[in-house]
Order: sequence, then structure tokens, then C-alpha cells
Amino acid sequence: MYSDESDITLVERYVDAELDDVGMQEVSSRLETDEPFKALVDREQLLIQVIRYQGHHDKLQYLKRMERHLLHNVHRASPSSLRPWHYQVAAAVALIIAIAWLSVPEDPNKLFRAYFKPYPNAFEPGVRSLHEGTQRRQALQAYELGDYETAVGGLQQSYNDHPEPGLLLLLGNANLTLGHVQEAEENFILLIKNYDDLDLQAKWYLSLCYLKNGDLERAKNMLKELGETEISYASKAKELFEKVN
Amino acid sequence: MIQNEIIKKIRSGGQTELGLVYQEYREEFLRWITKEYHCSDEDSKDIYQLTILIFYDNIKQGKLETLVSSVKTYLFGIGKNILKEYIRKEKRYTPINQEKWLKEYLVEDQTQARDEHAFDVAGVALAKLGNPCRRLIEMFYYEKKSMSEISEALQFKNPETAKNQKCKCMARLRKIFEEELSRTQNVVNHV
Repeated sequence: MYSDESDITLVERYVDAELDDVGMQEVSSRLETDEPFKALVDREQLLIQVIRYQGHHDKLQYLKRMERHLLHNVHRASPSSLRPWHYQVAAAVALIIAIAWLSVPEDPNKLFRAYFKPYPNAFEPGVRSLHEGTQRRQALQAYELGDYETAVGGLQQSYNDHPEPGLLLLLGNANLTLGHVQEAEENFILLIKNYDDLDLQAKWYLSLCYLKNGDLERAKNMLKELGETEISYASKAKELFEKVN
Repeated sequence: MIQNEIIKKIRSGGQTELGLVYQEYREEFLRWITKEYHCSDEDSKDIYQLTILIFYDNIKQGKLETLVSSVKTYLFGIGKNILKEYIRKEKRYTPINQEKWLKEYLVEDQTQARDEHAFDVAGVALAKLGNPCRRLIEMFYYEKKSMSEISEALQFKNPETAKNQKCKCMARLRKIFEEELSRTQNVVNHV
């Protein structure tokens, strides 16, 4: 393809929107009259389209992995052998529990047990299918399998080696599951202080730490803050706030 | 305010936030679209994934800076548009092909036919480019990161160095593309 260094620079500046009015006028007029120049612009735009396509493609794969992970969790949580009458009995029992639940004062520990669900490994889902033996993978695998004792050591070490907010969130969750509330609190506070990512999740789990410790005032403050958001955990936080309150 | 904070976080690269948005509205969206358009479960998931991608892209491209409605309303709006436009083009409802849909979405000038062959060859060239070049140009053109952000993330000396490197990477990509193009044309000619 015909190419001239100054034309290439002009094309680059054009597609990167760096040209002033004079430059834009030059490009517009050449696009109408200069075929080789137009071919350069077309090629550049094609390459950028492909870069963007690849970016979307990778992001789509990330969403698909997440979808598989969500489905996997749903399947794991719902036994397939249930019959219709099982559902009716389950619904009746749930109704009785709900009535009983509403009629008695809420106990923080019970609330904790009802609301605490370890955060899924959404960072590298599906690690169980991989056989790489790195400490990080082993820790994530242990976490996914519910072996939190093993996960804690591995996640702590992996975090020390390469600090990442996701590892800290899972470490806090593993600690909280094991009843190491103090350590979990420290993990979540560190996450809130040092990172912009995952702070809403960290706040949710920190409020559960407070609840577990019976520190209702701090739990309420945190839940109130979360309840005012409109994204993840907001509805759960509002609901829990009402119960704690 | 918080919704706009989500947008801010996604704009600055929060893949986790995108994942959270995906999880947060998934059930409601799937229920709605399945009921409204009678899609299969799998189709509704495909549409939802495209919806999330467009949401992400609109943020990255600067088309969505602040929300006047909720994230949910915005997402449902995108989903509805995707389906309406798709049904209009296909004349009837058929399962959506995500890859094809994305390619069409990326061609801004719909009047100009896309050269499928050149598109595929460019894909091969990009794969051959390798990292860190590929990562750099992806950060610039897809994630819309500034040169300062790229310089920091990829540990260049300064934004100017990152910019020079980006120009070199694009030059390399053009070269590989031309080589691949002439190689595939030679193969066609021999056949």
C-alpha cells in the first residue's frame, strides 16, 4: 500500500481526534479527492475496529465465564430431585419461619448466619478445572471448594506477594467464615482504605463482622450507608438495617 | 450520585464493577426480556451480555457520563433497542449471533460494506502483534485510557514515551497486516 510518513502521521492524528480545524479540513478534502490517502484512512479505521472488536470479544468471554460461575452456584444450591409436593411443603415451612421470624426480636448472630454468604470467586472463576499448581491458584481452588482453612494461608501469602483487592476480599471472607472476625475486620478495613475497587463489597462484609461481634451501632451505620446506594447490596443492606434497627 | 460513582469506576477500568452490575440486574432483565419477547433462556442471556457490553462501551466512549435515570432503566433501554433493531433487520425474531452482532455494531458507517476478509486478516495481524504492544493499543483504543494512565500501568518513563511506543506498535501492526494480506492474496492467486 502507498504510504508516506507524513501522511501516516496525519492519518494517526485524524483517527485519534488530535487535529485542529485546519488539519480536519485538509483531511476532509483529501478524502474526497485522494484515493490512496483514503485507503490509508480506511486501513487505520479497520485496524482500530478490530482492536475494539477484540476488546469486546475478551470482555464477552469474561461475562460468559461469570455466567457459567453463577449457573454453577445455582445448580449446586438447588437439588434436582425435588418434587412438586416438596415445594409446597418447603413453601409452607418458609411461611411459618417467616411469621416466626417477624414476631421475635432479631438476634445479631442469627441475622449474621442468615445474611452471610461468602463472596464468590468472581476474579478467576473456574480454577478447579485448571491444574496449574501456583499458590494463588491453589488458594482460589481451596476457596471455591469451601476449604477455607487452606484458602486463608494461601490467600494471605499470595496477597503479600502481589497485593490485589480481590485477594483481600476473599481472604476477609475466608476469615469470617472460619470465625476469625478480628482478622476479617482488618482485611476489609485495609481494602476500604487502600483500594477504590470492591469497597462496597468490603463495607457489606465489614457490617457483617460488626454484627457478628454484636457491635450493632457500627453495623447500623455501615448498613445505612450501603442502603443509600443503588447498586449491589443496597436492598439487602436496607433490609438488614431494618432488622438490626 | 452512587450510580454515577459506578460509572466513574467502570470508566477508570473497574472490571469488577462491571461484573457486579451484571450480577445485580441479571435476573430481572432475563425475566423481563423472556416475557416481553419470548426469547429462550440462552438468547436472553446473549442479549443481556451484549447489553452489558454496550453499557461498558458507552461509558468508555464518553457517551454516558452521568445517568438521569437508574442503571436498571438504562440497561433495559439498551436491551430493548438491541432487540428492536435486530428484529427490524432480520424481519423476524431469530437467535442473535453475538460475534456477528458485535462486528456490525463496530462499523460506524453502516452504508459502507465491511470487507470480511480484511477484517479477519486484521484479526490475525493483531494476534501476531503480541504483548505489550497489543495490550498498549487495546488500552488506548478500546479502554480509552489516557497516555498518562497507560504510562503508569505499563511502566513507561512518561506519557510521551507511551505515545511514541503506541505509534511504533501501530506501525508494526500495519506492517504485519500488509504482509498477511499479501500472503493470503498470494494463496488465493495460486489456487
